[in-house]
Amino acid sequence: MSSRRSYLIRRVLHGFMALFIIATLLFFLFRLGLPDPTAALITEGLNPEERERIRASFGLDRPIWEQYFIYLANIVQGDFGYSFHYRAPVADIIWERLGNTMILMLPAIVLAYGVGAPLGAWLSWRRGSRADTSGIFVGLMFRSAPMFWTGMIAILIFGIGLGWLPTSGMRTLPYDASGFLDKIFTLDFLHHLILPALVVALYYLGSPLLIMRNTMLEVYGEDFIEMARAKGLPERRILYAHAARNALLPVVTQLAVTIGLAAGGQVVVEVVFSWPGLGREILNSVRTSDFPLAQASFLVMAAFVITLNLLVDILYTMLDPRVSFK
Amino acid sequence: MNRSRLMKSAQEPIRAILGDRLALVGLAVLLSIIAMALFAPVLSTHAPLAVNEREEGSLFTRSVGDGQVRWQASPPLGEATLNAADYRDGLGMAVGRDGVVWRYAGGDWSRLDTPLTATLNAVNIREDGATLVAGAQGTVALWTPDDSWQTFAMPEPLNVNGIAWRDADTALLVGGGETVWQLDLTSGEVTSLESPVGRGFDLNGVALDTDGSAWLVGDRGLALRLDPDDDSLTLERLPGNRELNHIHIADSGAGLIVGERGTLLVRDDAEASWQSQDAPDSRAMRAGWITDEGHAFAVGRSGIVFEREPGGNWQLVPSDEERHLRALMVTESHYFALGSDRFVNRLAPPSGEHWFGTDHLGRDLYSQNVHGSQIALLVGFLGAALVVLIGANVGLVAGYFRGRTETVLMRTVDVMYGIPFEPFALILVLLFEPSLFIVILAVSLLTWRTVARLIRSQVLSLRERPFVKAARVAGASDLRIMYLHIFPNVMPLVFLELAIIVGVSIIAEATLSFLGLGPPQSISWGGILHNARLSGAWREAWWWNLPPGLLIMITVLSVFFISRSLELVANPRLRARR
Repeated sequence: MSSRRSYLIRRVLHGFMALFIIATLLFFLFRLGLPDPTAALITEGLNPEERERIRASFGLDRPIWEQYFIYLANIVQGDFGYSFHYRAPVADIIWERLGNTMILMLPAIVLAYGVGAPLGAWLSWRRGSRADTSGIFVGLMFRSAPMFWTGMIAILIFGIGLGWLPTSGMRTLPYDASGFLDKIFTLDFLHHLILPALVVALYYLGSPLLIMRNTMLEVYGEDFIEMARAKGLPERRILYAHAARNALLPVVTQLAVTIGLAAGGQVVVEVVFSWPGLGREILNSVRTSDFPLAQASFLVMAAFVITLNLLVDILYTMLDPRVSFK
Repeated sequence: MNRSRLMKSAQEPIRAILGDRLALVGLAVLLSIIAMALFAPVLSTHAPLAVNEREEGSLFTRSVGDGQVRWQASPPLGEATLNAADYRDGLGMAVGRDGVVWRYAGGDWSRLDTPLTATLNAVNIREDGATLVAGAQGTVALWTPDDSWQTFAMPEPLNVNGIAWRDADTALLVGGGETVWQLDLTSGEVTSLESPVGRGFDLNGVALDTDGSAWLVGDRGLALRLDPDDDSLTLERLPGNRELNHIHIADSGAGLIVGERGTLLVRDDAEASWQSQDAPDSRAMRAGWITDEGHAFAVGRSGIVFEREPGGNWQLVPSDEERHLRALMVTESHYFALGSDRFVNRLAPPSGEHWFGTDHLGRDLYSQNVHGSQIALLVGFLGAALVVLIGANVGLVAGYFRGRTETVLMRTVDVMYGIPFEPFALILVLLFEPSLFIVILAVSLLTWRTVARLIRSQVLSLRERPFVKAARVAGASDLRIMYLHIFPNVMPLVFLELAIIVGVSIIAEATLSFLGLGPPQSISWGGILHNARLSGAWREAWWWNLPPGLLIMITVLSVFFISRSLELVANPRLRARR
């Protein structure tokens, strides 16, 4: 018990350390690359005194190290500054966008792994058959196709061609909702969610499918499978209760990696479907030179990835008790 | 000895590829893509970024559906521009570039054989169906319904732009330099009529009026009238001074003159004067037609069609395509517009000339896709090489030394896992200019982490093997043990990761280019899709979407198939992939 707790504490500390390093990296990257952040604010006719006053109000006239500690202190307090483009606090913008990204990403990954792993187990059972070959090929095919291209093709077929599904956005305008849950639990919203979620799910389906299939094939050779079979257990029970449980470990490991990739890869899906998520916001803020928003969005997304990785690691210790003793 | 050991390490992966049928297919496809990249300039049918133009004998037909008037593109009449048309009593004739003549009879168009090669600008049908055509270099010829041609010699090789029959034996011809000729068809004799202006303006159109006189119109708003009694020309004053391109007078005396900048001059009947009327667009109008009842049409550049009901205002009517319309022909049951100079061949579907079609600027998509393979493979292989170089070395050092070295290196890997890829690339592009270097750097920085973990885990087990202990006992240095003893044993895994990351890098590069972050002025598969999305035309132009994505998918699939065979060579228990 105490070893599990110490493991978890260490993982959490590692997460915070990673976040700290990323924040520092961001700070110096921005200082390195941007000679004068106020350039975005300068309008024609602004005199040098006005420019200096603006720099002072942003704290840019202080020594670099003082700026750094102010920056860290602000982050800890949840103060991410002010968006040049939206003229609003960055924090307000980010939380809404992050919510939108999670709404799209989590169902897609649950779908990819919820379908991919059982399907992989089934393919291992049918090893060598036509279904096995076809399943592998389809999984690899969707993995090989860029997500944004799959999205465009899906829009062409199901949105424009057949007219079954909306082609962009989170909901039909105009719209009014009193709360977050009211916002997402509507038929209109779910209707809009189908296409982007499916596109993301299809992309990530290949990993659990292939990993599960290959690992199941390995597990079949283990002694405890022979034992279960000797006890006269039904084939299906052996397949799912014994073999699948063990084969799930690498799938969970891959899930951790996928979550990190999915958060970033979300950008293109959000762009193709005009989904107002955090990734798309980073792209827009880059284009409008909205540095506070770009910087904070990236940091929050990194924190999001690290947190999800942490949760998966905790889940991992439940699946395999041996991990906690490491 | 050392070299042969490395050679032997590489042999096993190669043998694995050659022994697996799927991997062989993947290898063949990948080599094809590589050949495409290497020979892109030769394989391209066009310069990839050049705007392509073409020409056709465009034919548009007016249709009325659901109360909506629309001019629809019909199958073109050949590939030469059509400049003029006329219709009378069931016979229609259209003439164009390179002496092309089309005949319309019984609802069908057919091309006539002609002895003419010069561009034809004018056509007029006589009451008995004989047709006079004229054009560049003083070309004038008479076609008779028994399908024979008779050509006439003109005093000078000038452009003839208009024809009007005065009677069965006499025709008026007008053209460049205020030229007015009267042709006697029985004798072939040409009489020049004197223009009262004498400033050399081009005359562009001529029409016979109901009282036997003729109207001639031309540049600078020039208008002349021919007196039928003494064949003298007098200057007439019309509203405006724009170039006048065409004149048509119906049997009832209703008349329409069209010109540059949306010039529309209308005469309601033979007794009325010419009135300037407002046009809904200010582009050049090339031809007009007015019916006995006063229903009028005008056509011009870029597919512009104006219509006016009798006594009403002119309306801009939608037409299918942006062709340059130069002629009108109105029959008892159909309204035809004809034309097309050279126009940009934008959003053309796949054809023999453009295998993958063209984009919204008329650029050849096949050539773009062929060239796109260059950047994809360059980033794919360079990125993968860099990734494996960094990752393998970090993993090797971390796994071999363990202790504090391992802790520092693997914590670095953990930090990298916390960085989302595309947003990080966006930040890099924000801070530095978009370039191929930044793309490769972004791809490499964020994918070496997986390689490092995998190599480290294999090195952890290898370092405990007897042969490593024996080398250490023999006094070999750490560097020697790492690179001469352990490294050859992780080579299969390195090859596997190399193959996987080529595919990953290709998708990553396409993703960045799709987001508009690729190197500017370069051609990449992601960039093609970026342009498709920005233009909005991808929703109709399916041929713009399909090839780049298919090529990416095929390339990455071939790399994956190769990596699957390499997987058997690498540690079979290692299943982690990106």
